[in-house]
Amino acid sequence: MTALLRRHPALVPGVLFAAFLLLAPVFAQRGMLNDLWNMAFFVVLASAWNLLGGFAGQVSLGYSAFVGIGAYTTVLLANAGWSPWLTLPVGAALAVAFSVAVGLPTFRLRGPYFTIATIGVGEAVRVIASGLEFTGGSSGLRMPQGTFDFNANYYAMVGLALLTLALVAWLQKHAFGLALEAIRQDIDAAEALGVHSTQAKLTAHAISAALVAIGGGLFATNFQYISPGSVFDFRLSLTIVLMPIVGGMATITGPVLGALLFSYLQIKLLASPTLRDSYLFIYGGLLIVVMLFEPKGIVGLWERLIGLRPRRRAQPPVGEARRAS
Amino acid sequence: MQKFVIVALNSLLAAGLYATMSYGLAVIYGVMRIINLAHAGLMMLAAYATWALNDRFGLDPFLSMIIVAPAFFVLGMALYATLIRWLPRSAAGPSMQSLLLLFGVWLVLQNLAYAIWGGDTQSILTPYTMESVPFLGGRLGVPQILVFVVSILSLVGLNLVLRRTYLGKAIRAVTQNRDAAMLSGVNAGQIAAVAFGIGTAFAAMAGSMLSTLYAFTPDFGRSFLLKAFCIIVLGGMESFTGVALGALVLAFIENFASAYTSIPVSYQDAISFTLLVVVLVAAPGGLPGLWRMLDRRVVAR
Amino acid sequence: MVRITWLGALAVMLLGLPVRAQDEIRIGAVLPITGKESKIGGAYKQATELAVKEANDAGGVQVGAKKMKVNLALLDDTSDTAKSAQLVEQLITQNKAHAIIGGYGSHLVQAQSVVPDRYGVPFLSGGAGATAIFGRSKWVFGTLSPVEHLAETQMNFLDDLVKQGKLKTPLTIALLTENTEHGNDYAKGVNDFIKSHPGYKVVVQEKFELNTTDYRPLLQRVAEAKADLFLADSHLEDFIAMHRTYTQMGLKHQMLTHGARGSDAAARKALGPATDYVFASGWWSDLLPYPQVKEFKDRYKAATGTDPQWYNAMGYETVRALLAAISKAGSLEPEKIRAALVGLKMEKSIVPGQVLTFTKTGQADLPFVVTQNKPGGKVDLVWPKDAKTGEPVAPIPAK
Repeated sequence: MTALLRRHPALVPGVLFAAFLLLAPVFAQRGMLNDLWNMAFFVVLASAWNLLGGFAGQVSLGYSAFVGIGAYTTVLLANAGWSPWLTLPVGAALAVAFSVAVGLPTFRLRGPYFTIATIGVGEAVRVIASGLEFTGGSSGLRMPQGTFDFNANYYAMVGLALLTLALVAWLQKHAFGLALEAIRQDIDAAEALGVHSTQAKLTAHAISAALVAIGGGLFATNFQYISPGSVFDFRLSLTIVLMPIVGGMATITGPVLGALLFSYLQIKLLASPTLRDSYLFIYGGLLIVVMLFEPKGIVGLWERLIGLRPRRRAQPPVGEARRAS
Repeated sequence: MQKFVIVALNSLLAAGLYATMSYGLAVIYGVMRIINLAHAGLMMLAAYATWALNDRFGLDPFLSMIIVAPAFFVLGMALYATLIRWLPRSAAGPSMQSLLLLFGVWLVLQNLAYAIWGGDTQSILTPYTMESVPFLGGRLGVPQILVFVVSILSLVGLNLVLRRTYLGKAIRAVTQNRDAAMLSGVNAGQIAAVAFGIGTAFAAMAGSMLSTLYAFTPDFGRSFLLKAFCIIVLGGMESFTGVALGALVLAFIENFASAYTSIPVSYQDAISFTLLVVVLVAAPGGLPGLWRMLDRRVVAR
Repeated sequence: MVRITWLGALAVMLLGLPVRAQDEIRIGAVLPITGKESKIGGAYKQATELAVKEANDAGGVQVGAKKMKVNLALLDDTSDTAKSAQLVEQLITQNKAHAIIGGYGSHLVQAQSVVPDRYGVPFLSGGAGATAIFGRSKWVFGTLSPVEHLAETQMNFLDDLVKQGKLKTPLTIALLTENTEHGNDYAKGVNDFIKSHPGYKVVVQEKFELNTTDYRPLLQRVAEAKADLFLADSHLEDFIAMHRTYTQMGLKHQMLTHGARGSDAAARKALGPATDYVFASGWWSDLLPYPQVKEFKDRYKAATGTDPQWYNAMGYETVRALLAAISKAGSLEPEKIRAALVGLKMEKSIVPGQVLTFTKTGQADLPFVVTQNKPGGKVDLVWPKDAKTGEPVAPIPAK
């Protein structure tokens, strides 16, 4: 037990937090539950993105497309009489198909070229979606009445967030995670070692696309209304990318920290006019600071602080000094 | 036929603006291998600066470029000195870090504009804003013609600087081969600062020109940034003529697609985004690269 | 002791029910005060706040036996649909609002309108005319009449010009609408009219996205179609951007409208004389010949320093209608307020027709007015005929 805890220091707070989330509907008020729902949604987005963007190092600025595909699948099928729950796997499947269609050509590009291409894809999807008749144009679409059940949706979203975290943690420990790691560090060397890089990137893209699309479907059910402006928005793509970057890319805890920070910020932003007027300062400023001083984000900063602590002490206790040496 | 000429002429006029808009991006990429995502924010900021000069002092937007462009040159140098300089250098290609850093700068610039001018749409009204001249049965807007003329003048001027002055030659040398240029005594840091200044000044000129044609908000510029990026990719990323060629190709494709096909016009922006992805993937060397490739095949035969 | 204090603090935080005054009417409002719709959103804010202030200055609203003050919580959705709905939810769940004043812009109100149904809170919007918003939920009401009828009014106005001999059929139409429910309703109104009236034909019909930067390609198609009439349905920002390019391209039509936009001061400032002779239909005009309109105009100008436009007036009247319904309900219970809204008949209102009521779907259905800009910044009311302040000029004279 202690060995397990030492290997996974985040386990105890993690389990406690999960229990808190799952029990919250019993005691918390609706306003707070809404905030928690939002947090879980952000955890899904950030952690799923991190699989491709963090572990494999392929920074995509086009993830709102998957939120949109999931959300629109749910709304369109629900309006055709489907149960919203059954629409989720369909949305995920469509998102996977789209992720492969986009990934096949764009994964030939490297680094920033890939990123720029994903901005292009994301914007093209948004422009086309607003022009299509069945998306409701800029007016968007509504879910049919009677599809709203907050508690069920809440549990589904929290469950999805926990599932995403567990899946990412599991993948990280296995060969697939190591392959992604190798791709991030040196794609040519990884290829030389026998990693099938395109296949690995496509798989990571597909898994994260499916998770994000399911999140998008739940988003549509919870808000009961979507429009291309809300689910295909560039700002959404931007938030998805910022969370793991600020939290710490290629870690499990980083995106979660980023999601907590950003959902907190969003709640504060909604409530306070001064903060709302400066959210771009905050986002942009965080990005600049992280890139200049700590590209590994909050997690990197934390590690650095912990690493620095013993060195600062003038005379370390014997035990610690011995352990350090 | 008459329609063809009008559409072609409109494309040509648009290409002038597109080239100015893209050149700033290309020169920074050439010297530093950095994709300047803040370009959009700088264009937007310059549009507001032009508007403010017009609103306060009644300064003509084209004349105000004489103030705005040098001011942005200094701003670009300052950005370089405070932020860009500290980034780790990568010889091979642009780093993710620089892309995201400049993305952050873009967001900050947007917020700056919101803070100063609010989110309202602004536009500049001059005596000639609404004027047009008859041409072959169609009409051409006076501001568009002016934008084209100023674009060409500024690009020719820049080309002279690049070809005739030591600084310009150094910039071209660093663009072509950084190591060789440094070996021959070029101060790469200094050149990078100047190049960033020039790139920013061109973003500013493009912004001033855009402000005479369109209404704008702090969110302005994203689609133009993507167009500019599409153009420099088409143009093979670094050459001066490549940019001009890319601008022409994009402008012609856009205008002819909307004039001769029944694609809904609301999809027009999607044309450049899609073209960007297609060119990035299919012809990473842009049109010049494609040309060289075809050329080689012919020679090989 | 310290531990008990902490526990107490924790309990307060968790259960955190701030004490609220019982004798007040809590009204929530979510408007686009910044962002793309900020110009008109800001006007709605001004009008909403003025109407609330007036009610409070008069001692409050009579609810049953008590006079209650109105507590307005007004939030800014930054013209973002997702945020808009979230804020309405926040006002209901956290501020415990008794009723909600909806936003401005059909797409934003559409997003908001799903929330009231979830919690059973009356919702009255003064800034959305798209019919799709109404009739789905019994809690959603709106004071703007259907956009379809706006288009129909414009066509009747044009048809009357034909009857007067000012315009000659056959007339071809370029029909441009924004890709929203608002735009769809407008196009439907025009197309329905044409079906029953020979002599009109749509030769080019296109949709455009909100806040397009470059209207040249769209207008290029319009230029090629060589239509007689230019009928568009645009938001203010799009009207300014599109008409700017339109004028630069030297386009000309016999008559031109941008739906409800045209006489706006902001457009006149941005476009100058290019807006002359543009005609517009609206839900209100300061030229309406009712005494209460003149009185309202003076009062509004005195209080805010601005001349009320249709959006100021409708924003103001929407709050008045909601407060009238609450007073009539004699209670703050949502069901009672809703019932009062259903049966509301507000006399001596400043709206065209002077009586504000809601139809079965919850949307008002009142007559529209048509105005036309004249040179020198003048605006004339040209429709309905019995209220007109000047003769319509048609076709638009060449310079």
